[in-house]
Formats: sequence, C-alpha cells, structure tokens
Amino acid sequence: MATVIDEPQTGRFRSPFEIETPPGAEGWREMYPPYLLFSEENRAFEDSVFWIWDSMHLPEVELPFDTHTHENWMPAFSVSNSRVFALPPSNGGTQRMLNGYEYVTLTPVTDPRELEARSTVFAARAGYYYQNWNELFERWKVKAEKLIGDMAALEVAERLPDLESDEFFRAHPAANSGQFLLRAYDTLMQMDITAWTYHFEMLNIGYAAYLNLFMFCRQAFPGITDQTLAHMLSGTETMYMRPDAELRKLARLAIDLGIGQRVASSADPQQVIAALRSDPAGQQWLQALESIKQPWFNLSTGNGLYHHHVSWNEDLRVPFKAMTGYIQTLQRGGSIDRPVNEINERKQRLTAEYRGLLQTEEDRQVFDQNLGLARTVATFIEDHAFIIHDWYHSVEWNKVREFGRFLANNRFIDQVDDLFYLNRWEVPQALFEAVSAWSSVTPCRGANGYWKGHVQKRKGIIEALRKWTPPPALGPVPTESDDPVMLMLYGLNTERIQSWLGVGDGSANVLRGVAASSGQATGTARVVRSVNELSQVHEGEILVCPLTEPAWSPIFSTIKAAVSDIGGIMSHSAIISREYGLPAVVGTGNGTTRIKTGDTITVDGTAGVVTIHAG
Amino acid sequence: MRAEPYVIWLADCTRDCLPVVGGKAIGLGALVREGFQVPAGFAISTSAYREHIDHNGLAGPLQALVTECTSLEAQKRASEEIRQLFEASRPSPRIEDEVLAAYARLYGDASAPVAVRSSATAEDLADASFAGQQETYLWILGGAEVLEHIVRCWASLFTPQAIAYRARPRSASLHGVNARTRVADLAMGVVVQRMVPAEAAGVMFTIDPVTGDPSGIVVEAAYGLGAAVVNGEVTPDRVCVDKVLLEIRSRTIGTKALAHRFDPAVQGTRLEEVPPLLQTQLCLTDDEVIHLAALGKKMELAMGRAQDMEWAIGAGRSGPREVFLLQARPETVWSQKPRRPLVQPESTVMDRILQAMRVPRPSASEADLRASQTGAPGSDRQMP
Repeated sequence: MATVIDEPQTGRFRSPFEIETPPGAEGWREMYPPYLLFSEENRAFEDSVFWIWDSMHLPEVELPFDTHTHENWMPAFSVSNSRVFALPPSNGGTQRMLNGYEYVTLTPVTDPRELEARSTVFAARAGYYYQNWNELFERWKVKAEKLIGDMAALEVAERLPDLESDEFFRAHPAANSGQFLLRAYDTLMQMDITAWTYHFEMLNIGYAAYLNLFMFCRQAFPGITDQTLAHMLSGTETMYMRPDAELRKLARLAIDLGIGQRVASSADPQQVIAALRSDPAGQQWLQALESIKQPWFNLSTGNGLYHHHVSWNEDLRVPFKAMTGYIQTLQRGGSIDRPVNEINERKQRLTAEYRGLLQTEEDRQVFDQNLGLARTVATFIEDHAFIIHDWYHSVEWNKVREFGRFLANNRFIDQVDDLFYLNRWEVPQALFEAVSAWSSVTPCRGANGYWKGHVQKRKGIIEALRKWTPPPALGPVPTESDDPVMLMLYGLNTERIQSWLGVGDGSANVLRGVAASSGQATGTARVVRSVNELSQVHEGEILVCPLTEPAWSPIFSTIKAAVSDIGGIMSHSAIISREYGLPAVVGTGNGTTRIKTGDTITVDGTAGVVTIHAG
Repeated sequence: MRAEPYVIWLADCTRDCLPVVGGKAIGLGALVREGFQVPAGFAISTSAYREHIDHNGLAGPLQALVTECTSLEAQKRASEEIRQLFEASRPSPRIEDEVLAAYARLYGDASAPVAVRSSATAEDLADASFAGQQETYLWILGGAEVLEHIVRCWASLFTPQAIAYRARPRSASLHGVNARTRVADLAMGVVVQRMVPAEAAGVMFTIDPVTGDPSGIVVEAAYGLGAAVVNGEVTPDRVCVDKVLLEIRSRTIGTKALAHRFDPAVQGTRLEEVPPLLQTQLCLTDDEVIHLAALGKKMELAMGRAQDMEWAIGAGRSGPREVFLLQARPETVWSQKPRRPLVQPESTVMDRILQAMRVPRPSASEADLRASQTGAPGSDRQMP
C-alpha cells in the first residue's frame, strides 16, 4: 500500500478522494445511504480531517444492512459527549464508508474557553454518575434486559394473511397485519437506537475514570506498562467469564453422569444432542445445557457487529469443542478449575506493591481514590459489552432475519440472509411495497426481480471489496498532541499513527503495536480475516487477525500467541489474552497484510513487536 | 597501640565501622550479611593506613605538599611527588603479617587472583564518585603484589582531582568538610576480594536513573569485567525490569565492542575486542536479568532505599553461570530529591479527571462563580 508523505513533520495519508474503486466493485456507493459516503458537497470538511479505518470494531467488509449498527452507535457515542455530558475534550466523531469499510474521524474540542465551560457541566453530570454508579448500573441492567426481552417478543409476520382472521379482527378492530409489520420494523430500528444510547450512557465517563488512573500511574511510574494497569483493573468474575465457566460445569456434569465420552465426541453437536436424548442421563445433561443457554450462549462467535457473527446458540460447535477439551482434561486426571483465588490474590499483592512504591502519603491517597473509582466503573465497562454486543445483538440479528424470512416468503429475495444486501432504508421500502401490493392485491416490482437483481449484483461487489485492503488512515495526521479519546478508545497515539506512515520504509520484517499481553513466542502464522475462517486454525499456530475477539476464547487455548491489526490495551481481546497467559500484540495497523499464513513469526508481547522471519 | 585490627572480614563490616573500613566495605558487608553471593574478601582498616603514615613518617611531607596548592599545575606536581613518596614507602611488618595471613586464608593458596579496591571513608564519602578515589586493581596475584596495590589505593587519596576538590570552597559548604582539610584527618579503607572470572558484568539501579520511576529496575551489562561499564568504555546493553512483576519491560542492545578480560599471558587484564556477532546480542539471558533484578529488589527492601549496585556473572562451580554482587550503595540522585506529592493534594478526583483529559484547571473563584451562575451544584467538590 502506497502512502504519501507531504510534510516531513506531520505527514499525510492519502485523501479519501484519491482512493480508487477496486476492480469489480463499481457501483459500491449505491449500496450505502448517501450520508455515509464521501461527497463533493462535503469535501471541504472531509478532505481537511484525519480518518482512521475502524478495523478494531469492523475489520471485514460490510454488507449494506450491517452498517446500521454503527450508523446508530456513532451518533449515540457522540451525543453523549457533545450534548449530554459535555465531555470536555470531545464531541465524539463521525463516519464514512469507503469501498465497503468504515472510516471514523473524531471531533476534539480544543478552545480553552469552551473546555472550561463544558468542564463545569461535566463535573456536575458525570459526578452524579460516579457517585451513584452501582445503583445506576443496576437500573441500567434492568432496562437493558427489558429492551432485549421486548425485542425478542416483537412479532414479525412470516406471511400476510389472505383475509384477517376473526381473532385478529376482535383484538385489533379495523387494523391490519401489513400495518403491524411496518410498525414492527420501525420499532426494531427505534430499539436499536435505544440500545446504543444505553451502551454509551455510562461508557465514555467510565473511560474518563480509567484515563485518570492511567495518567496518574504513568506519572508515578513512567515505565509501567499498559497491560499492568489493565491487570490492576480486571475483574475475575465478569459476565464474559460466565459462558466458559458454565461449559466447565457442564463438562464436570457429563463426567459425573458417566456420559463424558458421548459429549466429548468429534461428531456434529446436533448429532451428539440427538443421541443424548435417548436415555435419562443424557436428558438430564441436556436439561442443564438448555438452562444456561439464556443468556450465556448468546456469546457471539465474533464481536456481534456483523450479521454472520452468530452466537453459540446458533453454532454449538465452539462450545462443544471447548467442552470436549475440558472433559478430556478431566479424564486424564487434570484440573479445569480457574485459579480465581490465586488470580485475585496476585492482583491484590501487585496493586499493594505499586502503591507501596509511591513516595508520599498524599500520593497513596490519590492512588486509592483513582483506583477505587476506576474499579467501580470497571463493572459496567466489562459487562456492558456482553449485554449489548453479544446478548442484545444475538437477539437483534435473529429478529432482523424474521423480516428476511418475510421477504423471502414474498419472493423479494431468494434466501433469508439476502436481506443483508439491502440497507436499513431499503428494507422498509421493500416491506412497504410488499404491504402495498398485498393491500391492493396487485403484482409488484419487488417480487418480480427488482430486489433479487440488486442482491445478485451486490454479491459480486462485496466479493471484490473483500479482496481490497483498506489503508489504516486517510488525510492529514493531526498536529495536536494525543487526543485522549482516540488513545482510550482506539489505543492510537500520534507515535503509532506516524509509524503507519513508515510502512514500507525499511523495517519490512518488523511490526510494532501495543504490547497487550506479555511473553514471547515463535511459531507459524495463521492469518484469519473473518470469524468463518476460524476453524482453519491449527494447534500451536499464531493467530493473526484484524482483531482478536473474546468470544474466540476456546481458540485461545490452542494457539501460541495472537497478533491483531487494531486494538487497545483495554480491548476485550487484550484482557482475554492476559487471562490465558498468551503473548499478544494488538494494533499493528496492517499485520494481516504483511504477515502471510505459513510465515514464521516471533511475537514479543512485552515489547509490542512482531518479527517476520521467513515464509 | 592500635584501636582496631588492620584486617576486618567483610561480614564484620557493619554500619558503625564506616570510618574504619569505608563505604565500599560497608556496602559489601551488608550484602554478605543479607545472604547474597559476594566474592569472599576482607577490608584493610584506616588504622592500617594511619600506621603506614606513621611508620614511614609521611604526615609532615604530605601536609607540606598539599598546603597552598591552588593552581592546577601545582596540584599535579604535588600529587606526583606524593605518589612517589607512597611508592617508596613500605608497610610495617605487622600490616604485612596480617594482610598476608588474610590473603592466604582467602583461598588457602597464596597466589590466587584478587581485586584490590579503595573504600572511601565518611569524610570523603560524598565525594567518592569523583575520579581518583575509585581505584580498582584487578587480577592481582601474590602477597607482594597485594601489598603494593593496597599502598597504591592509599596514594589515591591524593590524586590531582582529589587535591583540587578538597581545595574548593564549594566542597566545604556542600559536604561539611573544612576547606583546608588537614591531611592528618584523611584516611582510606581498602577492600581485597577474590576475583570473579566475569563473562559479563555491569551495574544495576533499583530505581530508573533516567525517569526516577520507583517501579523500574535498570540493568546495564557488557562482556568481561565490570570496568568497561563503570568507566564508560562501552555502550552497554540496557534492560529495564518491572520491579513489582519482575518482568522485562524493554531491552536495548548496546554495541559493547570492548571487554576487559583476564589474559594468562600477562597474568592480568587486557582490553579485548568483542567479536561482531556477540556485539549484536544481549550479553545476559532474560533469566539472568530477572535473577539480578530480584536480588536488587531484595537488597532495596533490606536497606529501605533504592540501591546502586555492581555485579558480575561468571562460570558456576557446576551448571549455570553464577551471579556475584560486587558493590551496593544507596542511590543518591533520586533518593535525595525532596518527596513532593505528584498532584496538588487538595485536588478532587474530578479535578484530576479533567486534568487527565487535558482540560486546564480553572481557578477556584471562576469555577465557583460559574457554578453559581449556572446553578450547577458545587462544581468539582462533590466527588467521592
């Protein structure tokens, strides 16, 4: 990938207007809503700011419908900063799609007078949250779980009736099923906006408390690593630990019931389950399995932001593979207990030791306050991701599929998942047309190939875009010192961005990133670009991916080390890598392009360096 | 006639012996008593030095030579004449007897290699880092040689730099030493230790000497004897270790092109070139660095303050290489800075959060004014 450096000091990535459409992807702009595209009308702004490819959240090319997640989350993130909490240094950011990938620009606030005015509002509002954090988080959980329940209960017709039934007529006089269907879609989209509003309600101010602790500790201990700081904060009993903990329990239960061998089978999970139904022990075990599926099997096999990131509920291979490993360990007489007490004791000891190194009693008091607040907010920061990214999204994608089923039943599309080739505004157009045609009992364009033609064409475009590698950034590198929001959310500072500009200048065999989990490992690289390729990973290989995902946990027990393109020290992946004791370097910018499957590489998770030895 | 013995074994060099054996011997004594692996050795007391001055009638000539010695040229001349005086002097039979007996006990063999090093006493302790009082003679073989180098260490009290330093009025105000220090008040201890056949050696600080990070331990290492690092003759490898986790934070490979090594041909040390391939590798393994750092951490804990240490690593009696500590003294740069709180003590968590987000801290009056205008409750004073 060519990068252009205009100014020796600041540097500049290519303009979004210079990026060419990959061959075979002509017409890609028509897939996405106009507001998501770089445009001549808005060029003055778009060409003047710095854009980063958000490969931390969205490493794969996006189908048109999938962009609705960040179409909703980016304003929710921003409005919390700009209009609600008045987070002093940031108004959030905005987004554009380029060749099927999302680019983000952040909008920092730098005017000293504005910063001051905002800080008063922020102190009062965020202060209220910090003071009442646990209570507000309890309330938050109640409303978030209610939202998920309401969404699951949303009724979506598979087909519209030839004639409304008497029952329907009595319950809803003079209403009709078409009207209900359209309302259900609107409600779904409303709920998604609400979900993202909840998501950011406590997140940005939580990160502000993290930042406060990190800055203080870096001042006191200039050489302290980010991973050490993260370790001081990490909880051992977060929701993300539960699915795996439940699998360990199921593994033990299988052994106790004498059916370990039958569960730990290499057969397809559905066959295993069918076979277990035949006897009481099997039935008892299956009952236990069913009882934990809600909510714990809503763990996404990815980060939940793509429709194909199905959860364990839809794809039982991941949990069954993990249980097989646990059962085999138990059968060999090994232990599968997580040493929770040891982990907690070690964490406490380390924290006390750093505290003891502080030079004054005042510093120790400040440390206690900062750490106390950071640990308070950590409960939300760690658990919100499971509730929204995994649980909520599993329910949402499946609800969206119900509209896909309706459209497929009405011959608007061939298969349920073809819906995802329509964007969020095209789906209600199709639904509206279907309902109109149903109302007037007339044929319609949509059922006669209009949308199928679009889907077909877009499948080709998506395949072409999938082969394209997005540059890590676009536009001029900001000259301001590090943006604290950019640092906290994306793990990006000016130094790292500058290092991307150096791509191809000499050090071709060395990649630098964030040291996410300490240790060193050398082995064979396996480049995995999407969750669907995860099964190609062999034991003892080094995973190289756009981002590492907590829900890939079982894979982490077989790989040697992990490397990712983007990710900060607080990304869930970094936390899981530390938990598994795997060396990990995240935020390399372009590891998946520069490393090829089969390369021998060394991952130094302490220094944040990956070395490519040979192919 | 004499108040203290001439020879004091390192294990007996306790804090209260400082005026008798000097700082280096005290540091080593502490290491021995804390159970660290230190090359066996003994100190020659200042009583021996004084006996030597008396025995050879040096007091008068020395005082005469250093008095009114203000110009650089004069100091150089005086130093040279004093060196010749010491060279011509002979230790008293009693000193000879005690030193030779101790040397023989060190190995059970009167021709094994030792290091002979000066050990500055209380009066000069604060000045100990300036050149001329840090004499170290390596690979000294045989009783006669040992005695000769002990006398050389004594003579190093009067290097031109030392004479000049004592003549400086600033020295007096800084360290409480009278500008016209009487020669009779000066004394020097000496340490005699078994020689470690070092494959690598260097220094270690239990606080990051660059940033003052109290959670960092920095190890600097090069091939051969430690002199290459201590004298700044090479760019050493530099490894930073997290003191709490005992994990390596960073490794920087130095060129370390030269190494002081024992040369059997000359029965002494020689400065050799290091083969290019070895120059580009770390001269210590990670395990060795961690082991060293653990020793540093333990010593800091025992002494109650950050340490500045010297170490060497050489072939063990069997199996892996062994680490020896050669010196431990309190770190002086960061430890002597006044301890001030890192943030304004009256700040609230909210003040600090705003600062972390790079928001300039408003003055209290402005903040109060704004708070009363907007009706926002007590601005930044409501944090937990």
